[in-house]
Amino acid sequence: MSAHSHSDKFVYHEPGLQHQFDDMGQQEESVSLGMWLFLAQEIMFFGGLFTAYLVMRSKYPLAFASGSNHLDAFLGGANTLVLIVSSLTMALTVYYAQKGNRNMQVGLIVLTMLFGLTFLGIKAYEYTDKYNHGLVPMAGLNRRVKADSPASEHVGLVLPGETAVSASEAKPGAEPYVNPHGEFQWREYELVQHMMDKQRAEPNGHYLTLNEQLTYSTSPGSLVLDKDKFRDKVRIFFYIYFVMTGLHALHMIIGLGIMTWLLWMAFKGTFNAEYFSPVEMSGLYWHFVDIVWIFLFPLLYLLGRHYEHLGL
Amino acid sequence: MAEQTTEHHNPHIEVPNEHIGIPGYLGVFAVLVVGTILTYYVALMDLDWIFPGANTLVALGIAFTKMTVVGLFFMHVRWSPRLVWMSAVGAFFWLTIMFAYTMQDYLTRGTGFFGH
Amino acid sequence: METVGAIEAGSYGTAKLNYLNNGSTLKSWLLTKDHKRIAIMYLISVSAFFLMGGLYAAAIRLELLTPASDLFETGTYNKVFTQHGILMVFFFLIPSIPAVLGNFLIPIMIGAKDLALPRINLLSLYIYWIGGAITLWALMQGGVDTGWTFYTPYSTTFSNTYVLAVGVGIFINGFSSILTGVNFLVTIHTMRAPGMTWFRLPLFVWSHYAVSLIFVLGTPVVAITLLLVAIERVAHVGIFDPALGGDPILFQHMFWFYSHPAVYIMVLPGMGIVSELLANFARKRIFGYEFVAFSSIGIAVFGFLVWGHHMFVSGQSMYASLVFSFLTMVVAIPSAIKMFNWTATLYQGSISFDTPMLYGLAFMGLFLIGGFTGLYLGALGLDVHLTDTYFVIGHFHYVMVGGQVIAYLGGLHYWWPKMTGKMYSEFWGRVAAMLIFVGFNLTFFPQLILGYLGMPRRYAAYPPEFQVLNIFSTAGASVLGVGLTMPLFYFLHSLVKGKPAPDNPWLLPGLEWRTSSPPPTENFDTPPVVTWEIYDFGDESGLDLEAAKREAATINA
Ligand code: HEM
Ligand SMILES: [Cu+2]
Repeated sequence: MSAHSHSDKFVYHEPGLQHQFDDMGQQEESVSLGMWLFLAQEIMFFGGLFTAYLVMRSKYPLAFASGSNHLDAFLGGANTLVLIVSSLTMALTVYYAQKGNRNMQVGLIVLTMLFGLTFLGIKAYEYTDKYNHGLVPMAGLNRRVKADSPASEHVGLVLPGETAVSASEAKPGAEPYVNPHGEFQWREYELVQHMMDKQRAEPNGHYLTLNEQLTYSTSPGSLVLDKDKFRDKVRIFFYIYFVMTGLHALHMIIGLGIMTWLLWMAFKGTFNAEYFSPVEMSGLYWHFVDIVWIFLFPLLYLLGRHYEHLGL
Repeated sequence: MAEQTTEHHNPHIEVPNEHIGIPGYLGVFAVLVVGTILTYYVALMDLDWIFPGANTLVALGIAFTKMTVVGLFFMHVRWSPRLVWMSAVGAFFWLTIMFAYTMQDYLTRGTGFFGH
Repeated sequence: METVGAIEAGSYGTAKLNYLNNGSTLKSWLLTKDHKRIAIMYLISVSAFFLMGGLYAAAIRLELLTPASDLFETGTYNKVFTQHGILMVFFFLIPSIPAVLGNFLIPIMIGAKDLALPRINLLSLYIYWIGGAITLWALMQGGVDTGWTFYTPYSTTFSNTYVLAVGVGIFINGFSSILTGVNFLVTIHTMRAPGMTWFRLPLFVWSHYAVSLIFVLGTPVVAITLLLVAIERVAHVGIFDPALGGDPILFQHMFWFYSHPAVYIMVLPGMGIVSELLANFARKRIFGYEFVAFSSIGIAVFGFLVWGHHMFVSGQSMYASLVFSFLTMVVAIPSAIKMFNWTATLYQGSISFDTPMLYGLAFMGLFLIGGFTGLYLGALGLDVHLTDTYFVIGHFHYVMVGGQVIAYLGGLHYWWPKMTGKMYSEFWGRVAAMLIFVGFNLTFFPQLILGYLGMPRRYAAYPPEFQVLNIFSTAGASVLGVGLTMPLFYFLHSLVKGKPAPDNPWLLPGLEWRTSSPPPTENFDTPPVVTWEIYDFGDESGLDLEAAKREAATINA
């Protein structure tokens, strides 16, 4: 009781101390615990999605691998690095806030925001790419390409960074791309066809899971590929991809909002060695969003890459 | 008077504010970059000969490592009160409950001793 | 009178500054950061939702008076029971005790000036209002008919009612619970007064600690689940719709991962209140305090391991069903521990039968039946017969109404003098408690029998053989309805005409009874230092019983 008196009369009110607390130590501990508990709920929030991912992937591993191979792992990896750099600048922001170095804080916050924006830019570019290729799982939300339009010959090749698999040029004789109603499109059946053939040749092999043998076949157990059925499963992958990355991007956008506010506060010189917990809390949030991406990257972009050596 | 019991008398004030300093942060950064590159190249190798799904396991292992260093150093868990530590680990534990008990259903469907 | 400490003369009647008269503009309420005012606003809001949910309940019971579906078309009937469930579960029962009584009392009970994060507290109220408003809007537009459980693929593909809007409403509302949970956990950890050790915390606080864990770790999962349902409805992609390759059972896993723990959200706070009532009105330290405290945590933790008992007939693997059935039996143990300890607490206590205590005792009887029927349902084989029958309806009303609502009413009566500074009519209080007890049993016991005999739930029509028991049930519901409306009147009456309440009307040692009624904005005039053990009714408690009695006498004179 001696260290801190409850009575307002005798306490020198430090700036930023809220009335319900006795001292800054108590306030900081409360705020930081609150933030961590909030992150705990965020873990469970994303966790629901990861559960859906886990179940769906365990049901349709090949469809997930095929879908994943259609994502641009290079861009995904680049984005991972961008986020890591932004995490570094964020950590340094906290460091300089503790030192009360206003200029470094402001500079680093600006950098962090720039990297955040870069991430979102790349993400937007990837989304556009999916839009052009008919990979958005919702009907009508893809680029509409009429049979007679010039784009139909190029699978959207207008864009740089095209992945080889999806370019019609890479496979001579591929049918032209038409998508008049903007539906979900899927044309890559080589991998699953390959596995299906092997499975047929070797009925006791483990090329397809039991569930896949049932659900990709024209009729249960026929082991003849039903393309429509397989396409539906790939669509599930893209659905999960969009929900997970979309929710992650939303968190980034909220993070940028927080950073804007933080920038203003830092610019005013609010933070110093005694009072910097807003910087620290925003940092926790930012790092958390980074961690989510650290998992999303391998789980969404890389899961089927090891099939590429099959050369299909 | 009764003994001091509330926890807010030992905030992490004694801990040096420096944490690991700038070289430390750069070191963590380097680990993260290496991890990212590693995870990319390992994904290209076919590890299915070890056991099916080995690729995913390796990828997750790297991701966990990256998460751990971000948590410990960037998020300062290493210097935080036990409570913070517990809420971080606790939430992950809860997530594994959800995974484990859901998969316990899916992995035991179909034929077999308990099959329908 | 110069009594120092707990009881100060003149703290009532006169215009002493308290949280109620400290500012009277609308703004001073809507922008308040005072946990007590926020609690009062929650009280009004949840009561409104309770009333609405109650009207739907009346409609259901009226329909079921006769075997034919004559009052509603079957489609309308689906909406009626769905909306009853949604309003009652998400907008009344889940926030009821935590957001009203917990909000009001936790800071006072631990000797703090407020919750640790008052702005977050206000935010959670607004989120609750927004979620509620969206849901009500959707109900007015035409409502929803999926059942409160939103089972897929019906909710994603086939139902053409306002699933989306209601889902969004509940999604938003979920964050209100989450923030409340975060706030409570932080507060209990960091805001305790000097001397308020963990084992001096009232059990009410312990049970809210447990509930908050569930709020934080469970609610986000149902939020994301409903989000997925919403997207699936809009985008027609299926991870839940089997026609599109999805898996409806995945929905059930994700939904029940939250919603089984949520049933404990809907009883743990009640258990906390009952622990308070039984110990205080028997004037005995609760038997096995540590066991009661830790059994709350045990329920919160193990409650996460049993959700599959809602899915025994869903197509879940038999192995998973076995595990879930076994764990269901295990999770009943902490509840049983509480029952034993409460009973032992009553033994040789000096019991007084004031209104709150009547509710406390009613809880014990009703929760006993609720818990036992839960065990029947958790038994794998028996559940195949009982699932989706009125037995399940009977079971969960015994725990949710017989448990939580009864406890909530008990708590409201118990702390009403503290919250409002007014005494209600003890006579009418007891009459209402009796009516509720009788009405409740008359309503729901027949439902247990009906379900056992095979009457399914969620149908507007039923075979004529079942009519007699249904008439009993509807008759009971009328009695229950009357009983539940009575407090509304005598509580409101007490605000205008009630006697001023003394600071310590029940002559108890808890911290909340050592400040004025109603408490000042910062809860205590002098910050408390706790030197006594919890539920200490002897001299060590530092409580001036004689002074408290004198004060009560002055008021009654
Ligand atoms: C002693 C502990 C309990 C056990 C063993 C238990 C067991 C069960 C089981 C096995 C079911 C599934 C019945 C079926 O659908 O076939 C069930 C349903 C239910 N229980 Fe409990 N229960 C317990 C306590 C509670 C409590 C405390 C509450 C709420 C306060 C509760 C609320 C519910 C609800 C709402 C349902 C029905 C959900 C629905 O299908 O709409 N239960 N219970
Ligand atoms: Cu349950």
